[in-house]
Amino acid sequence: MPAQPRRLPDFVARPQHGNYRGLNPTTKLVVAFTTALIALGVRGWAAPSVVLVVMLALVVWAGVGRRYLPYLLATSPLLISIVLINTFLYPAHDVAFTLGPLVATGSGLTAAGQATLRVLAFATSVALFALTTRTDELVDDLERRGLGRRAAFILSTAIGTVPRMVERAREIVEAQRARGLDTQGGIRGRLRGLLPLAGPLVLSALTEVEQRTMALEARAFTAAGRRTVLRAYHDSAAQRALRWALTVLTAALLITEVAGWLSRLP
Amino acid sequence: MGWISRQFTTRVIVLIPVAIAINIVLGYTVQTVLKLPIYLDSIGTIFVGVLAGPLAGLVTGVLSNLIWQYAPVIGGGTIGPFAIVAGVIGLLAGFWGYLGVFRPRPASGTQLLVAALIAAALAIVVVLPLINNPIYLDPNQGGFVSWAVPAAIAIAIIVAVVVGAFIYLRRDLAGLWVAVAGIITGVIAAIISAPISAIVFGGVTGSGTDLLVAALRQGGADVLQASLGQGFFSDPIDKLITSFVVFMILVTLSPRFLARFPLGERLTRPASGTTPSMDSRS
Repeated sequence: MPAQPRRLPDFVARPQHGNYRGLNPTTKLVVAFTTALIALGVRGWAAPSVVLVVMLALVVWAGVGRRYLPYLLATSPLLISIVLINTFLYPAHDVAFTLGPLVATGSGLTAAGQATLRVLAFATSVALFALTTRTDELVDDLERRGLGRRAAFILSTAIGTVPRMVERAREIVEAQRARGLDTQGGIRGRLRGLLPLAGPLVLSALTEVEQRTMALEARAFTAAGRRTVLRAYHDSAAQRALRWALTVLTAALLITEVAGWLSRLP
Repeated sequence: MGWISRQFTTRVIVLIPVAIAINIVLGYTVQTVLKLPIYLDSIGTIFVGVLAGPLAGLVTGVLSNLIWQYAPVIGGGTIGPFAIVAGVIGLLAGFWGYLGVFRPRPASGTQLLVAALIAAALAIVVVLPLINNPIYLDPNQGGFVSWAVPAAIAIAIIVAVVVGAFIYLRRDLAGLWVAVAGIITGVIAAIISAPISAIVFGGVTGSGTDLLVAALRQGGADVLQASLGQGFFSDPIDKLITSFVVFMILVTLSPRFLARFPLGERLTRPASGTTPSMDSRS
C-alpha cells in the first residue's frame, strides 16, 4: 500500500470498494497466501501458469495495472539472475546452443523457464494483495474474527513502524554523510558505512519501547475481555465458500506434490 | 499456557514490532543497497529470542519475512518463503537466551586472551570453505575469482578483529559463547534454507549471494549443493556477526532496561541477577 495523503483518520475512512478491492480483506488474504503456495510449491508448467494468468486478470480487473508495473520491474534483476544461472550452469549435457564459451542446455532452459514462471506468478500474487488491501482493514477484520488483541497490535504496529524506520534510516545516513562518511564506492567503504547507520537506528528504536509500554499499560492494554470492533466489513456466503475451496484445493495440490516427491525417493 | 504467556508481556508485545522493523530495514539496506554477500536481517529476531524466549523469537522471525514480502516499495523479492528459516533462528535464539549464553562472564589474564584468540580464529575458520574452494582459485573457472575472495577475506578479517578486540577490551568471555552460538545457528539456518532456495527459486535469490551460487554451479555443483555451499559460507558468518551485534547492543543497554524482559535476569550481571524482576505483575 503506497503512502497516500490521508485527510481523515483511519477509523473514519470509507472501506475499500470497487472491483476486487471491495472483497472482504480476509478473502484477499486467503487468495494471496493460497496462490503464493501453489505458485511456489507445485512443480511443472501448469500450476504457475494458471496462477499467473488468474492473478494478471485480477490485477487488470481491480484497475491497479499501472501501479503493478513497478512490482514487475523490481523482480527483473532476480529473473535475469535465474535465467542466466539456470540456462548456462545447469548440470546437464543436452546442449541446446552455445554462446562463446557458455553452453546452454535443454534441461537448463526448462528449469529457467519454470523458475521464471514461478517467480512471476508469486510476484503478481504479492502485488495484487499489496495493491488492493489496506492493513488496518485487514487487522480489524481479523480481530473481529477472533484474532487476539496482542497479535493485532503486533501486526498493525510492525507494518506501521517499517516506513517510519526507513525514513529515520535515511535521516541518519544523510546526517552521517554530512559529517563526511562515505557510503558509496568499494566494498570497504560500504562496510564502514554500516555501523554509523545501524547503531543510532537500533538504539533510538529501543529507547522508545519503554515509553510505549507505559502508555499501553496505562490504557488498559492488559485488561481482560474482548475489544469491540466498530467497523464490520462486507462478507458473503460466496466469499466464505471461495476461501474454503481455495484452502482445500491448495492443501490437496501440496499433498499430491509431496507424495510425488516421496514416491520418487528410493 | 503459563510458559507461553510469560514470553508475551506487554513489554515484549511492544518490542516485537520494533524488532521486525529493525530486521526489515537493516536487511533491506545490507542486501539491496549495500549488496553484501551476507543478510543481517535477523538482529531483531535474535534480540527478541534472547530477551523473551523461543516462541517470541519464532513469531518475530516469521512475521518479519511475511511483512517484508508484502511491504510497499521495499517488498517483493524472495524473502517470504524463508519465513520458516527466520522462525527457526528466533527459536534457537530463545534457546540460547534460556541457557544464558549472552550473560556477561568477566575474566582476565590468559583465559581472556585465549578466548579472544579462539573467537577471532572461529571467524576466519567459517570463511575458509570459501577461500579454500578450488572454484575460486582456478582462473579458468568463471570471472568471480577477483571479487569473491577479497570480499570474503575482508569480512572475515574485520569480524575477527572486532570480535577478538571486543572480548579482550571488555574483559568478557561471553563473546566467545555468543560467537559459537551464532555459528551453530548459521549452520542450522543454512541446512534449512538450502532446499527452500533450490526448490523454489532454482538457487537464486537476487541478492549479493547469487554470485556465490553461480560460482559453485560453474564448479559442477547441482542446485541443492550450490545453495547449500552458498549457505555454508553466508549463514555461519552472517549469524556470527548478527549474534555479536546483538551482544554488543545488549551490553550497551542498562541492566534496568534488560531486567524487565522475561529472560532479562539471564542477561544481566550475576551480581544484579538476584534482584527480582520488576515486571512480574504482567
